[in-house]
Amino acid sequence: MNKYTITCLIIFILLGPFLFPNATITEMLIFGIVAISTNIMLGYTGMLSFGQALFFGTSAYISGLILLAGFPIFLAIPIATLGSFLISLFVGYFCVKREGLYFICLTFAFNQMFYFIAYVWTEVTGGEDGLVGITRPEFIDTQFSFYVFISILFLTSLYLMYKIITSPLGLIFKLIRENPSRAEAIGYNVRFFKLVSFSIASTFTGLAGSLYVLIHSMVPIDQIHWLKSGDIIFMTLFGGVGNFLGPLIGVVGYIWLSDTFSIIWARWPLIMGVIFAIIVLYFRGGVSELLENLVKKCQFYFKKNKDEKYIKN
Amino acid sequence: MTFLILSQILNGLGLGMLYALVGVGLTLILGVLNIPNFAHGVLYALGAYFAYSIAKMTGSFYFAIFLSPLLVVLVGFLLESQGVRRLYQAHHDYQLLFLFACALIIQEIIIIIWGPIGFSLLPPPSLSGALDLGILIYPKYRLVLICFAFFMIICLYLFLTKTNLGAILRAGIENRDMVKVLGINVNIVFLYTFGLGAYLAGLAGALSAPIMGLTPSMGLDILPICFVVVVIAGLGSIPGAIVAGILIGLSQGAATIWFPEATNVVIYLMMGLTIIFRPQGLFGVR
Amino acid sequence: MFKIILSKSKNKFICFISSIFIMLMPNLVWADTVNILGLFPFSGPYADSGKLLDEGAQIALEEVGYEINGKKIKYITRDSETKAGPAARRAQEAIDTEGVNFIVGPWSSGVALAVTEVAKKNKVMYYFSGGTEDISGKKCHKYAFMWAANAWTAMDADLKIFKKANPDAKKIYLFVVDYAFGWTLQKYVESLAPKYGLEVVGVDRHPLGHREYSTFITKAMSKNPDAVYMINFGLDAISAVRQLNNFGFTPKKPVVMSWSSGFEELIQLDPAARENLIVGSNYYYTIDNPDNKKFVEAYKKRHNGVPPGYAPAAGYGLMKMTLLGMQKSKSVEPQKVITALEEHKGKNFVGEYEIRGRNHQTVRPFFVLQTKKQKDMKDQYDMAEVVDVSSTEQPKNINMCSDIGKF
Repeated sequence: MNKYTITCLIIFILLGPFLFPNATITEMLIFGIVAISTNIMLGYTGMLSFGQALFFGTSAYISGLILLAGFPIFLAIPIATLGSFLISLFVGYFCVKREGLYFICLTFAFNQMFYFIAYVWTEVTGGEDGLVGITRPEFIDTQFSFYVFISILFLTSLYLMYKIITSPLGLIFKLIRENPSRAEAIGYNVRFFKLVSFSIASTFTGLAGSLYVLIHSMVPIDQIHWLKSGDIIFMTLFGGVGNFLGPLIGVVGYIWLSDTFSIIWARWPLIMGVIFAIIVLYFRGGVSELLENLVKKCQFYFKKNKDEKYIKN
Repeated sequence: MTFLILSQILNGLGLGMLYALVGVGLTLILGVLNIPNFAHGVLYALGAYFAYSIAKMTGSFYFAIFLSPLLVVLVGFLLESQGVRRLYQAHHDYQLLFLFACALIIQEIIIIIWGPIGFSLLPPPSLSGALDLGILIYPKYRLVLICFAFFMIICLYLFLTKTNLGAILRAGIENRDMVKVLGINVNIVFLYTFGLGAYLAGLAGALSAPIMGLTPSMGLDILPICFVVVVIAGLGSIPGAIVAGILIGLSQGAATIWFPEATNVVIYLMMGLTIIFRPQGLFGVR
Repeated sequence: MFKIILSKSKNKFICFISSIFIMLMPNLVWADTVNILGLFPFSGPYADSGKLLDEGAQIALEEVGYEINGKKIKYITRDSETKAGPAARRAQEAIDTEGVNFIVGPWSSGVALAVTEVAKKNKVMYYFSGGTEDISGKKCHKYAFMWAANAWTAMDADLKIFKKANPDAKKIYLFVVDYAFGWTLQKYVESLAPKYGLEVVGVDRHPLGHREYSTFITKAMSKNPDAVYMINFGLDAISAVRQLNNFGFTPKKPVVMSWSSGFEELIQLDPAARENLIVGSNYYYTIDNPDNKKFVEAYKKRHNGVPPGYAPAAGYGLMKMTLLGMQKSKSVEPQKVITALEEHKGKNFVGEYEIRGRNHQTVRPFFVLQTKKQKDMKDQYDMAEVVDVSSTEQPKNINMCSDIGKF
């Protein structure tokens, strides 16, 4: 991340509430955390999971229940995040034993099982109706204060994740993605590090989930459904798995496009599907790759002009 | 009580045969092309929708069952040649996601063409109604379905074991590179395999329509079950897919008796346990 | 690239101003209009209903020429996707950027429970029609109203009129969709059945979206009931009815579809599978009064003579009630409109109704139909006739709305 990207990020966060309604921009930031953390697994370590909604949803439920019981938010968020962490160790332990299609199927299977529990355990989760009646704590009850709160947590999470990715641990993740047998040969316990990657991704996703509860003061059951896991993967890929902030672009793009298209055409999922297919076929780097190419072309064009002017003189 | 258990066995068998057909199709594609076909569900749905339209236009159910899987094969060819082919060298994940995107697109196209409301497709009068088997009364159509699906599977088995193309397909599952080395045009093999998988999915969809009706989301609904079948069977095993399909059908039937709310989740539990404790599946080849 | 563009302060200024302007543009338009949101499922599993709900709402708006109390009505729609998360977000967006003060829809109760929270938080009026009793029950609040008949009222009507049509029936077997609303209806059926001389001999719960009923049917048939009483909806109900017919249960014995959308579900069945069904619904197009005839005509004009089912009728009813409140209060402020509606009595296309101020439930008729044999059908849409209606109100002590609260 260079100075330009950090500047753009800051500008986005400052301009955000003016570009989008409060509910939308906060949701974008929260899913931004989810997508960027999922990318630690997907882009950096090369693990495609269809189970991220499990952690997002479970953490949201835990956070919601703690708030409903009357405890402060400063207890709810850490406990829910810790809960995500512990569950990720359990789920991850089984999932990382396998890779590729099996890994996908395992994460999917766990997601389905947690969804089922959420669906059936209505006394706790509200079942299909979701968990409602949660109140936002007073200090973040205005649009402005809520946004500031979410942005601070957003930037903090991003900072932490960035530090992890740029540390030697991040390099190990990349190595595992590029060449797992070589990593094993050098002496790294690939399974262990995959579990670490899985846990980090899931814990931050859980953190985001614990915040989601506050947007609409409820936890709808669709946040733990496997299609939500699919959405998360789509957002991550759409933005670009090749760089750190790419997934955030994907989240903003996806939410904005889905809200815009849904007003225009009832068959808008078709458009999203086509975009998805095109990205997978031609633009594996996602939108961020497109933007990077655009920037390079612009720089080249301006540099050419500058050079020409220099030569003329 | 015997009435109940017998009916459940038949119910499970009926469902199981459908699952077996889609499962075999999926495992063929997975085995030969090594691609997880996330569009398998919509091919199943298209089979049902084509059958509905053909039956409506021609008035013949039998003709619909005959023609509709062939149309699905054409769709399969289109998908394979235009999309999947470009992704042979790509990572597993991208193939999967491309097919998933195609599934979403085709589902929306189904809604555009046929509308979002579900339909019924009736079995013809010759297959309607129930048969009195003495110990129990059971719908004629389901009995015929079990026999017909079984017959198709026997045909498939003969095709795979007795014909040259079948041998090539089986070889492709076991060792794709060797097949290339032997000079066989792998692209054609892949195309036909995908087509065959699509055929089985489309056939299963068409056959399921009189029982379960048609709805645009039927593709997305059956997709997880296809993968459960394949994983429990063991990737690349065709007899495994048949056994696994029937097993899953029977488990759902059993769950309905004793724990009806869990009919859906019981299969995911089975899949999870298989992956953890017997990762190669019941009949795994690799 | 930003460095290059933003290096010229002129460009910076233009970018900034234009982006603000573009985003704020919608806000500049809602100066003096009444803004109503139709939040309907245009995509997702209930996409068929979304379009129909919207049309019903439009017909109601056309009747008043999109004008009320001297103001123009701005009616916008958003896709609920049948997902509570995006639906709540879009509702909130509509309130924030389009100045929406009145919401109608969606279709699914799960989403409705999310939207009612948004309505309460933002103090906008919300009218819902659908399968949950919580809007006028546990989750009641001053801003939300329920149009569909109360669940207890519906089950009471079904059992009462079923018994009337089948006086010799004694044993019923229940199929129940496995979620909160299904359990609620089951509870009411089990408590009301003895009152009508009926006994529940078995219950089977199935997951929502279940299509394979063979196992349940064989279980049911082994108990030899006089009827299968179904508490499920949409494709679940249709699949079950179809399969009950395959197994030979109907037409010999009746099947009750206790909470049905009526027309939309019956049209998906072929005439043979449709025989001997008792269908309880919040609406059927043959309702005989001038208001309904007008609505049916307006709908038929848009649809090549196809009569309306429950979905468009619900959209129509919700919008009519919202407009009625505005007319009666001569205001477009949610609180005044709500006050005008409480304890209002009237007559409209479903018949005589009353809005109970205590829980904001519309006490209104629930219709029980009997399907016709194929040979008795006058045309392809003449699928059933209304046997009777009932609007018996749910006893106060069972209703879970203990305190509707204040504004």
